Amino acid sequence: MTTYILRRLFLAFPVLIGVSFLVFWSIRWVPGDPAIAIAGELATPELVAQVRMEMGLDQPILTQYGRYILRIIQDGDMGRSVKSNLPVAQEIIHRLPNTLILALTGLILSAVIGIPIGIFSATRQNSWFDGGSMTLALLGVSMPIFWLGLMLMIFFAVLLPQWLGLSAPVLPPTGSGTWQHLVMPSIALAANSMAIQARMTRACMLDVLRQDYIRTARAKGLIERLVIYRHALRNALLPIVTIVGLQFGTLMGGAVLTETVFAWPGIGRLLVDAIGFRDYPIIQGTVMVIAVGFVATNLIVDILYAYLDPRIRYT
Amino acid sequence: MKHKLFAALALLLIGSLLLGACAPAATPTPEPEPTVEAAAPTPVPTEAPTPVPAPKTLTIASGTDIENMNIHLVTSSPSFSVLEHIYESLFNMSPEGELKPLLAESIEATGEGLYEIKLRQGITFTDGTPFNAAAVKANMDWMLNPDNKAPFRGTLLGLVTEVSVVDDYTVTIKTNGPFAPLAAHLSHGAVAMVSPAALEKGVEFLAENAVGTGPYMLKSWARDEAVTLERNPDYWGDAPKIDTLVFKVVKEDGARIVEIEAGTVDVAVRIPPVEIPRLQANPDIELVITPGLRTIYIFFNVTAEPFTDVRVRQAVNHAIDKQAIVSSLFNDAALVSTAPFASPIFGYSAQEPYAYDVEKAKALLAEAGVAPGTKVVLYHPTGRYVQDALVADAIRAQLKEVGLEVELKTLEWPQYVPTVRKTKEEGNDVQFAMLGWGTPTMDADYALFALFHSTQHPPGFNGAFYSNPEVDALLDEARSTLDPAQRQAAYAKAIEIIWTEAPWLFLYSEVQVTAIRKGVTGFVIHPDESLIAQFADKQ
Repeated sequence: MTTYILRRLFLAFPVLIGVSFLVFWSIRWVPGDPAIAIAGELATPELVAQVRMEMGLDQPILTQYGRYILRIIQDGDMGRSVKSNLPVAQEIIHRLPNTLILALTGLILSAVIGIPIGIFSATRQNSWFDGGSMTLALLGVSMPIFWLGLMLMIFFAVLLPQWLGLSAPVLPPTGSGTWQHLVMPSIALAANSMAIQARMTRACMLDVLRQDYIRTARAKGLIERLVIYRHALRNALLPIVTIVGLQFGTLMGGAVLTETVFAWPGIGRLLVDAIGFRDYPIIQGTVMVIAVGFVATNLIVDILYAYLDPRIRYT
Repeated sequence: MKHKLFAALALLLIGSLLLGACAPAATPTPEPEPTVEAAAPTPVPTEAPTPVPAPKTLTIASGTDIENMNIHLVTSSPSFSVLEHIYESLFNMSPEGELKPLLAESIEATGEGLYEIKLRQGITFTDGTPFNAAAVKANMDWMLNPDNKAPFRGTLLGLVTEVSVVDDYTVTIKTNGPFAPLAAHLSHGAVAMVSPAALEKGVEFLAENAVGTGPYMLKSWARDEAVTLERNPDYWGDAPKIDTLVFKVVKEDGARIVEIEAGTVDVAVRIPPVEIPRLQANPDIELVITPGLRTIYIFFNVTAEPFTDVRVRQAVNHAIDKQAIVSSLFNDAALVSTAPFASPIFGYSAQEPYAYDVEKAKALLAEAGVAPGTKVVLYHPTGRYVQDALVADAIRAQLKEVGLEVELKTLEWPQYVPTVRKTKEEGNDVQFAMLGWGTPTMDADYALFALFHSTQHPPGFNGAFYSNPEVDALLDEARSTLDPAQRQAAYAKAIEIIWTEAPWLFLYSEVQVTAIRKGVTGFVIHPDESLIAQFADKQ
């Protein structure tokens, strides 16, 4: 097991190098010059050239990349933000907990609601519950996060207080700091994943419920609850865990939109702002952090397999 | 085996719950935001012996966070809005365009390109450092040092050569030739006075700290969330009535509107034109429309066919129904231009807008020998100005009516500026292009010199390559005298010539639409997009 984990960790290295180079190369390919952003629209061409030189942007891209990686390895230095002039690491560390809280809450919310809905739907296939919940799930999958976010906001902050005759909003529309601030963004973020997990769980459960050993279990007179939870669910769980794991990555990505709508101070919003400003160091740093998150989640999912499925053994 | 599975599941569940539960504690717990509730006039309990006035908090939903705390280095108006409550400049440009001394007492020309400024006495920075001539010199020298890369050095202090201390409360500023707009330039926030002691601590310190002479002091800055200011108890001027100012960052337009509707903020800036009717219908909200300082225009390259002929340029001006654009695309939240710059700016002189007249436009084009179906390329940015791409498209459609086939070249902003600022040698092939120009100094010099003087061809901002010796002479003259009447006359003449020669398609000036909750008084929106809460009060 340990060897396996070590090997996976070792393999993650080239992945991260690849991601970092792709990002590094592709953002330089996007039109727009950070030197102008930094020197100001009114700057003289000489000043812009000077800024470019100081930022090292006049060097060949491989040289720039080499220096960037070297600095990270040697001093853990990811450079400074073009916009704020603060170290990239500091900018990210400051916001990362906010994004993790949001993504984790979204993940828990979607799993806790999505998976049971999937199970119930599967066991009551073609019932009104099944039809209703799957229609809702379809809605959830197709609803854009920012739209859902604004609707939630209008409902909880404007309409509901009006109906109830309250002077203050039921939930604060934007910002962070208390659990109330977390409610709407995590619902908006979770809606999509919840729907995917519900549909996925339902499909896997239906698949398993048709297997011979389920028929055998029922035939030997086992009560239905045990059939479903001990025999069916356990076997359906493997693909569900994969989906839940991958959803975490998606949620971190979805946080980009959610954070923008709800003014949630996480790395997603940092990334959006940085792209608009052509803030290369921040873009590189943020994408790297998200990539590390993806790789780590995948690793955890793989390890969980071993616990869930005794047939899987890593050597 | 079953046990193993359950153990794993339970672990997973407990782990995730724990993570969820612990996570909030791991955040850099932001101060519980002093929201409006704190200041809401809750009925005071009867026992209260002496009614201590509740501290007042005013929350402003702003669209963007400030860049950093260093007023010498920031460039965006949201940054200046916050920092100008902490820092003050030598002069102040009132929203009405009146230039008044602030930290200075007076300015006087004492020779050719020599200006003596007397300073107000008895003012200290919030760190206890006295404000005096040495402080002014320290700040100006810092700005003037090219190594410090102050973004406004060129535009504001480009002609300043030396600053010298005469006595404790007098400085002399030497400029390269007469420079009448000096006081207006010194009213800009970018040349505000920072405590020399703080200045010495360097840019790293000033990026996160602010030490000025203003009515408010920095309390906290939660990046991307909010900047909170508290009243400076030792302020030299009238004490402000609001104790705490919160500039809350709400980037999304829709979210800002929900915030003001819900009453969780007192002021919301940058209301999109489409939302005007909705907010106007709300009895708890007042919509304030303020003329802006930014004019949107399309310049013609007067050295490129077919715009070398003045009749073609005039024809295009006649062919565009500016009022229709303003009404339909802006819900009237823009003003049709009556000069090359907006009305609050000193030197403004109203001209008769080119009447919308398709027949006249056609006749002028025919006279100039431009055949119907002639192709022209219009460059325009997208997402930089309100409705920019839609305006460009409206212009394309309207020019089709008079027989000009317009091809639109849409570029993103970072790419756009270098394209339209190319020199002839670099292959500038722009025929006509959309731009906006803001005049933060509120003086016509800033609005006209860079755009129409023949020394300002690209890479300068005279993208029209406009060149008229008479206009040059008038702009030079207005720059060299302090006499407002003479300057006004020179600008009026220059504007008239520019208007007739039409190196631009004159479009409109932007306005700012701000939503304010009823009960807030004295909140000022400056034409330069600064928000001034210094004189505000709240019930």
